[in-house]
Amino acid sequence: MKTDLLVIGGGAAGIAAALEASAQGLEVLLLERDTQLGGILNQCIHNGFGLHVFKEELTGPEYAERFIHMFHDKDIAYKLNTTVLDIRKEDAGFVVSASSLQEGWLELECRAIMLASGCYERTRGQIQLPGDRPKGVMPAGSAQRYLNMDGYLVGKDVFILGSGDIGLIMARRMKLEGANVHGVAEIMPHSNGLTRNIVQCLHDYDIPLFLSHTVTDIRGKDRLEGVTIQQVDENWKPISGTDKHFSVDTLLLSVGLVPDTMVFESLDIAMHPVTKGAVVDQHYQTSIPGIFACGNALHVHDLVDYVTEESRRAGRAAARYVKGLSVRQKRLALNSGANIHYTLPQYIDTADFNGVISCMFRVTKKAEQGEFVIRQGDRIIQRKKARFLAPAEMEQLDLDQTMLSDHETPLTLDFEVIRP
Amino acid sequence: MYDFIIIGGGVTGALIARTLSRYQVKVCLLEKESDIGNHATLANSAIIHAGFDPEPGTLKARLGVRGNAMYETLHKELHVPLLRTGAYVVARHEDDVAILNALYERALKNGVEGAKLLSGEQARKLEPALHRNSVKVLDLPSTKVTYPWEVALSALENAVSNGVEYRLEAEVVGIVRTDKVYAVTLANGHALKSKAIINAAGAFADKVAGMIETHVPYKITPRRGEYLVLDKSVRGFVERVLYPVPTEKGKGVLVVPQVHGNILLGPTSEFQDSPSAVTNHQADLSMIRQAASTLAEAIPFDKVIRTFAGVRATSSAKDFYIRQSLEHRGFYHVAGIDSPGLTAAPAIAEYVVETLIKQDYDLESNPDFNPYGMQYPHFHEASLAKKRQMIAENPAFGNIVCKCERVTEAEVLMHIHRPCGGHSVKAIKKRARAGSGLCQGGYCEGTVVKLLARELKQPLETIDYYRKDTPILMAETKVKR
Repeated sequence: MKTDLLVIGGGAAGIAAALEASAQGLEVLLLERDTQLGGILNQCIHNGFGLHVFKEELTGPEYAERFIHMFHDKDIAYKLNTTVLDIRKEDAGFVVSASSLQEGWLELECRAIMLASGCYERTRGQIQLPGDRPKGVMPAGSAQRYLNMDGYLVGKDVFILGSGDIGLIMARRMKLEGANVHGVAEIMPHSNGLTRNIVQCLHDYDIPLFLSHTVTDIRGKDRLEGVTIQQVDENWKPISGTDKHFSVDTLLLSVGLVPDTMVFESLDIAMHPVTKGAVVDQHYQTSIPGIFACGNALHVHDLVDYVTEESRRAGRAAARYVKGLSVRQKRLALNSGANIHYTLPQYIDTADFNGVISCMFRVTKKAEQGEFVIRQGDRIIQRKKARFLAPAEMEQLDLDQTMLSDHETPLTLDFEVIRP
Repeated sequence: MYDFIIIGGGVTGALIARTLSRYQVKVCLLEKESDIGNHATLANSAIIHAGFDPEPGTLKARLGVRGNAMYETLHKELHVPLLRTGAYVVARHEDDVAILNALYERALKNGVEGAKLLSGEQARKLEPALHRNSVKVLDLPSTKVTYPWEVALSALENAVSNGVEYRLEAEVVGIVRTDKVYAVTLANGHALKSKAIINAAGAFADKVAGMIETHVPYKITPRRGEYLVLDKSVRGFVERVLYPVPTEKGKGVLVVPQVHGNILLGPTSEFQDSPSAVTNHQADLSMIRQAASTLAEAIPFDKVIRTFAGVRATSSAKDFYIRQSLEHRGFYHVAGIDSPGLTAAPAIAEYVVETLIKQDYDLESNPDFNPYGMQYPHFHEASLAKKRQMIAENPAFGNIVCKCERVTEAEVLMHIHRPCGGHSVKAIKKRARAGSGLCQGGYCEGTVVKLLARELKQPLETIDYYRKDTPILMAETKVKR
């Protein structure tokens, strides 16, 4: 049996991509390693999902449920409890190795692959946090799963490092479950989470936010006994004399998410140093034709709505590829210029470029106002004014095919700050 | 009444237990932690050194070179992993060259096989990540890397299958000798009797010795070493162990490929009072990055997945202190086992039993001794045909629990139920590698907790992270589904 498109991951991204590719007439098979579809949405029982896609406010499970219904309505093939372990390139496509308790080892042939495996949480080791190494330090998302899926609290006195959205959501969630949440420290001078989460999860519950602070010591032999935070200077160096101590049994880490691209390990796919996901063109196609990526497995999003929109586009693009309508010939670079953290896509496939590309990007620092400018060589081909920008909030800019002056000169996106 | 009580379940104690199990003696190994090998055996550089730096004539030199060779037998009999990496000791400026030449002479005196000198250029051709400032290199092809903790586990398990008893959470708090019999009191109040005692208590050896000796002939000064671990996706960044030219402080910060594909950077070397504190310090971690960067070019520091620290049992005796007590017949010190302790461990066990103990006791061979340990399959490393066969025989091999390290449910269950099984999340991590990868348990920790609870028939909230009373789940939420 040969599938047109094999989708790895049954969360928001995988389902949306599968639905769209199926709607375009593709034979789709989706693989999910968990016991149910929906991915991380299942553990996000707070609301705030769906404002763009459904124009209403849903919880994570509600948002997932709507897509799962659509998915089942279309009778798209899928397998649960199935972990993808490897991808091999073959002449006419790919062979995906996967394994499950029910079906054992699987070798699945397909013509194209959509990586929608989400992201994993950065850990204590990755940020090299010093101190003792007792039990009680864990990523916030792990604590969220234990709490919302399994019904267990991981601690009663909690401190949170990092103001990413999961950390903020978990501050409120632990508080609601009766834990004492002592505070949130953020090394940057600004929050890394959405403004609404700062207000609704911290301010509303009188949980202090320590900006320009980080954890500099962790104490405890077997179980965590306390943490020390210190203010940092502009070079992120701790300032002596600014120590604050908190007696806590739990330190939750919300210090960033990283696209999970582990199944790409045996393939030589170009990766992006900033997003940590694959480098893609506007069709979400990686450096290996036929392999696509979307959602948090490609770059970490702030809103699931954006994941859905992106994954639909990726699903459509994969369908064009399988049908032979999109044969890549030339890729034009879209470079990140001044004050731009990254852009997505990083390349434009000029051979199959009709209409408008939705470019997503993040700025490197907070700004009151400024202007996004796309240049091709010296020529400005697109500009857009924007206000209240922050690295935590993804920006979007449409790039029209007619704007390109040629198919040779690379593009650069700059953000020019306008001083008030 | 035991013939021998071994105090300490590190790699030295475990290998002594196994060597004693070759004879018809009643042996009990006591370990104060809830799992074996939790101290220096778990946190070290994992290197089977060639034997280039100990002073000729010392136990460190003699047992080091012998121990290195013995690992080949352990590999065959106990299936302990062995990566025959070889090593380069690197002179990074002209001042180092004289020391390097002296080390070469010393390596020859110590009987190190295959040692030779290379120019920096020659070495860089074979090890391209080697720093361009490398002037001259001492090539030590007999250097190997193992998984030290598994050496201890498989040695103990083999000893147990040959009749040795062992007790966990069995901290010794008192030793007295009356009528040629030792009475050992444990922290839980139990008392055990034995004709002889082997003190292999690592960084706690002087404390244990002090329970019975009026004059303890050595003092342990714990020496901490911190490390950074790079993810296994960096496999192949270096093929060999890289050492700087050693200083009086020790071997220095190394770059060490590991058996599972990771690369270790470290250790630091700092004396401390506590024999057990394994704290990481910002300054030490920064020092490792700096020092390692003088050995290899462009180290992928963005692939660091973990930091850790270990404590060396450095003694005032300088050399290993391995001998019978001058005051008490039948009390054997196996102390001061810092580097090259792991390398020497099999030879230490041989020396203790075959030379020291045999001088005083008649040991009769155990006719049932089976030198072979159990071989536990690694699903991930099996061929496709073998994988299918394994799943056909046991469908739990099809269920991937840890996707970073590709560990299956069948393997986790096997490591819970094996004779020296693991009953905590960390104990499973050490045995099965679940949680050792890129996400450090983010994906699989919850699954491992559930499998432990199911298999041990215990509530979820009693499953410990590592030591007793370190549950991951603290309380049920107010509303239970």
